[in-house]
Order: sequence, then structure tokens, then C-alpha cells
Amino acid sequence: MTSGAKKILIVDDDTDFVEAVSSFLESKDYSVFKAHDGQEALKLAKMEHPDLVIMDVMMTERTEGFFVIQEIRRTPDLAKVPVIVLSSLWSSDTDFKIAPGSDWLGHDKFLPKPVDMSELLDEIRLCINDDSNTGKSEDKEEAES
Amino acid sequence: MQKSIIVIDDDDAVLLSVNKILSKAGFHVETFEDGVSGLEGVIELKPDLVVVDLKMPGLSGMEVINRVSEMDPYIIIVVITGYATIDTAVEAIKSGAYDFLPKPFSPDELRVIVNRGLEHRQLLQESHRLEIERELLKRQFVTLVSHQLKTPLVAVHQYLDTLKQLGDTPDTASKRQDWLERCLKRTDEVLAIIKDWLTLSKVESGSLTGEILRVDLKPIILNTMEANADMAAEQGITLEAELPADEYPVKGDRNCLAVLFDNLMVNAIKYNKPEGRVSVSVKAQDHQIVVAVADTGIGIPEKYRQALFDEFFRVKGQSSDQTTGTGLGLVIYNTTTTEMGGTIEVESELDIGSTFRVSLPAYHEKADQEEENRSTT
Repeated sequence: MTSGAKKILIVDDDTDFVEAVSSFLESKDYSVFKAHDGQEALKLAKMEHPDLVIMDVMMTERTEGFFVIQEIRRTPDLAKVPVIVLSSLWSSDTDFKIAPGSDWLGHDKFLPKPVDMSELLDEIRLCINDDSNTGKSEDKEEAES
Repeated sequence: MQKSIIVIDDDDAVLLSVNKILSKAGFHVETFEDGVSGLEGVIELKPDLVVVDLKMPGLSGMEVINRVSEMDPYIIIVVITGYATIDTAVEAIKSGAYDFLPKPFSPDELRVIVNRGLEHRQLLQESHRLEIERELLKRQFVTLVSHQLKTPLVAVHQYLDTLKQLGDTPDTASKRQDWLERCLKRTDEVLAIIKDWLTLSKVESGSLTGEILRVDLKPIILNTMEANADMAAEQGITLEAELPADEYPVKGDRNCLAVLFDNLMVNAIKYNKPEGRVSVSVKAQDHQIVVAVADTGIGIPEKYRQALFDEFFRVKGQSSDQTTGTGLGLVIYNTTTTEMGGTIEVESELDIGSTFRVSLPAYHEKADQEEENRSTT
């Protein structure tokens, strides 16, 4: 792993899910940190300052993930970290009527579970590039890769 | 709450007397002289019951019945009719009226029919409410089941996808075996949930327990201990039993009891600490026989204790991370125990252990034997 590798924090209460997805991301040269609950996630986020957070919103407590995002947004160092939200219950009839792009979720992206790995990779590249490069030139970079 | 009744009849004399009788009986009564204004009254007042004359100029009584049942099928409609139109009255019942009263009728006849109608309305509303409740529970059940089934399947999917994406590399070769093991474990989890779910669905189609007869507990408990001795030894757990010298027979279903005690013991071993102890005791208390299965395990936090008997509940905690379960077991045993006239209770102290106490009705040699004989002859 190179020191310049982008850091990704992945949060899910299912250890197998975390293991599978993080192995894939590590093979793509990301530096991956794993957390299995909200508390662990916040501790790691504050310590490691990841470039991106991937998180299931429905952990042991139904709204745990949302509180973590809220806390991340309130922490000055972390406020701008992109968060990709995952949920296996994400559908039109869930209780969570929080639209992507609403104030406290920022620029978050929602992906349903199971996650399509290539789709996830595309989203990660988009999010991380967006963050480090505010111009619109990455559209071309995207086409090359 | 005061029940309200609307009376629709073109005959002033009938309106007056019906109003008098029903108001005196404590109802709130409003009267209308024709179908159209009567229907408007129904919309406004939303009465519990409507009394309507079939033969009226303008909008007919039949038409009123149709409109009212369309508007709210739980409004009770009583038809009053002249003797000559009894065929039409039968027709009216077919289209939704509750009953009919041939003219002339006595105040008593009117009161009886109105009271019966209102009782009928209460029953209808009650069963409607139950239906909605059941529908809600069913929907909740479906959401929970799909979540419980989806979680392990998502994990398996993600492993397979990662293996596919990574292809053959030295790094994946070392992980492949481990991941495949995990995939098998997680698919077993799904299978177990489906099996328990099927068992539980039998509750709806009838009872889980068979014939309730005299059952001796001692042989069942000794069998269970023997069957789980190896598993206990593997984890260094001591099994002990404190059984009375005399047999305490209970009333129950032998198979259900065998499965119940086996599962309580398996749980007590599974959620125990290494070098822990599982003790089973049997005691007579009032007219109950109480079997206690106690472990020296991780304990159950107080807020989770009652939820244990809810569908799909499993205590999450670091020490039980490696333990799998469908969360349906205790729901099933709680149902069968209740069906046998018993109860299951749990007592627990964190890091010290849990005790599951099953109380079953004692079998009384004389009284119960006589009953058994009676029911077989």
C-alpha cells in the first residue's frame, strides 16, 4: 500500500460484508479501515480522516447510520467527507424520507445492497475526484479510465 | 358514547313514534321525511344505525340502502315495511340491510331489533379492527423476514462478486477457502430461518402441540443431557442435574417438551463461558412443575429479556458474535408452552448467567386420569 493511497472507511455490522467489500477495495489500492458499529466508525473517522466513508444506514439500531453521518457533518475536519450510503431496505416505502442532497446528508450517494462492485468503484472515483478537484474536468478523466 | 340513529319515513306519524321510542331508550335520533334529505343526514351525522321505510315517494328506500352501504358498510340498516311488501324487504336484506320490521310494530319489537343491530355493528367493527391489526402484523413480519433473509444473502453475494472481480491471484487463493466456508455458513443461516419460519407458520393453521397427556420429565431431561454431552465436553462445560427422587409427571406433549428442553440446553451451552456450568433442576410448586435450566454465560441485558420471545430477536453483543441463530426458536417454544398451559420465564445477570424457568401444569394421578378416561370413552 502506498502512502498516497486514498483512505476509505467502511462501516457495516455484518463482518462478512465488510470483509468482502474491503478485500475488493484493497485490491484496487485503496487503504481501507473497517468499523462494525457507529461508535467505532466515528472513532476511526476522527483518527484517520478518510477520503470517503461507505456506510450501511441500518445497523443494530435502526437509525444508527444516520446519526453517524450527522456527527461527521458536525465535525469541522470531517464535514466535507463524501459518504456513500448503503441499505438493503432502500426502497420507496422505507421510513427514511431523507432525500439525497438534503442539508445534513450533503452530497451523499445511495446504493442498494447487494452492492455492484463496479458501480461502487465508479461512485468512489467520482466522489473522491469531485472532492479533490472542484472543476468539471474529471469528466474527461473518467472517460479515459 | 351515545349511539345515533337516523329515521327516514314519509309518514309523519311513524317518524314521531319511532323518534319517541328510540329517544326514550337513550339514543340520539334525527328524522327525515324523504330519501334525499335522509341521505344528506347520514353523510353529516355518520349514524350507527338507519331506520328506513322502503316505500317512499322520490328516492326509494331501496336506493337509500344501496347508497348508505356504499358509503359505509358498517352502518346498520333496519327496514320498516308494510306487510304487502315483504318480498321487497327480503330483497332489501340481500342488498345490505340488516333486518326488517313489518308494520305495524310494537315499541318492544323496535327496541329489540335496534339493539341487536347495534350489537352486530360492534362485532363488525371489532372484526374489522382485528383484520387491520393482523394485516399490519403480517406486513411487519414480511419486512423482518426479508431483512433477515437478505442480510446473509447479501454477504454471500458480496464474497462471490469479490472472488469474481479479483480473479485468480495468489492473494485470493489464500482467502478463497475461508470465504467459501463463510458463504456456506451464511447460506445455512438462511436455510435455518426458512425452517423455523415454516414451523411458526403452522401456528396459524392450527396448533403446534399434539395430544396433551401425562409426561414424565426425568427421562426427557436425562436424554437431553446425554445427547448434548459431547458438545458440552468440547467446550469444557459441565452439565449437572438436580432431579427429585420421585417422578413429577406433567401434562404436555412429549415431543414438544423434548424439543424445548433440548433447545434450552443447547442455548445454555452455546451462550456459556469456557469451563462454565449448565444445571437443570426440577421442583414442584403449587400445582406446577418448574424446570429450571441455568447457565454461567454472558447473561442477557435487561432491556432485551422480554424481547427474547419476540420474533427475530437475537441478543447482539461481542461475545455472541460467533453464534448464529434465527431468533425464532424461543418464539416457537413460548407458543408451544403456552398451548400446554405453561409459561417460560427468564432471569439473567450480566456476566453471571441466565436461568430459563419453564412451569408446566402438574399431572394429578386421580383427577387427570379420570378426565383422560372420560375423553377416550
